[in-house]
Amino acid sequence: MSHLPDRDRAFREEALPQMDAVYRFALRLAGSQDRAQDLAQETFLHAFRNWDKYTPGTQAKSWLFTICRNLFLRREQRSKRHQEIVSEVADVDPRQLSREATVFMAVRDRDPEGAFWKEVVDEEVLRAIDELPGEFKDAVVLSDIEDLSYQEMAEVLEIPVGTVKSRLFRGRRILQERLHEYAVEEGIIPPEVQPTESDAGGSI
Amino acid sequence: MKWMEELRRLLRRAQEDPAPADPPGGISCQAAVEHLFEWLDGELEPEMGEQVAGHLEACARCYPLLTFERAFRQAVTEATGDEEAPDELKERIMASLESEGYRDS
Repeated sequence: MSHLPDRDRAFREEALPQMDAVYRFALRLAGSQDRAQDLAQETFLHAFRNWDKYTPGTQAKSWLFTICRNLFLRREQRSKRHQEIVSEVADVDPRQLSREATVFMAVRDRDPEGAFWKEVVDEEVLRAIDELPGEFKDAVVLSDIEDLSYQEMAEVLEIPVGTVKSRLFRGRRILQERLHEYAVEEGIIPPEVQPTESDAGGSI
Repeated sequence: MKWMEELRRLLRRAQEDPAPADPPGGISCQAAVEHLFEWLDGELEPEMGEQVAGHLEACARCYPLLTFERAFRQAVTEATGDEEAPDELKERIMASLESEGYRDS
């Protein structure tokens, strides 16, 4: 028999189970464990203070990510840069980005099914994600790590779904290029033999 | 004779993976690949999803790209999957919430 006030009970049931997810997101945003911990703590404090603005039973994870990202942006005063990048990427057709499988085209003769991805160490994947330009990183982290839908990402990032797709797909392509470069440098995959113009940067 | 090498390469590629006359799933390779990410993300309407899946799983040209993208996704997911908030952070969060009036019991 619980004597928790309804508000506290709802917070415990919906928000607190997201601590790991919020910490992971904060870690990718902030880049260091100390800053990520501060950001995650601040996120939960802000969420608790504003819990009456949350609609129970909706996506608490998305709501917490929105708070986390806004606190981060406010702290970093990156809002201006954020807007500039939005306008740069917004016009790119996501379908074209889906077709633009540059790394696949580069390795298709040597490793068409991408077995080399398994050989890239986790630390290198994380480093490459952390080094993505912020707007692409947000999209890749929210989708490929935290499994948010396009609509949920659009709400967290406050951008249209079309822009979500453009940033996510572009982010994945950049990430693939960087990890492919690393794999070649480390000898995980042999360098491309006799590259020709039509092999470079092709679309499917 | 660079042009001959290029011609040989193009011929080899054309022999290896000719565009199917009757494409699997009833959609072209281009259409399937354009929707590949959306399909992997579970964002396509069921009917379109079935067409894309039917094509990607059965097309000799596109199947390698599908496994390539899946392997990439898996590498990204696995790299971060076991990161959990440290106990120290959880305690800090709970302490700060309690100072705001939150009651855990």
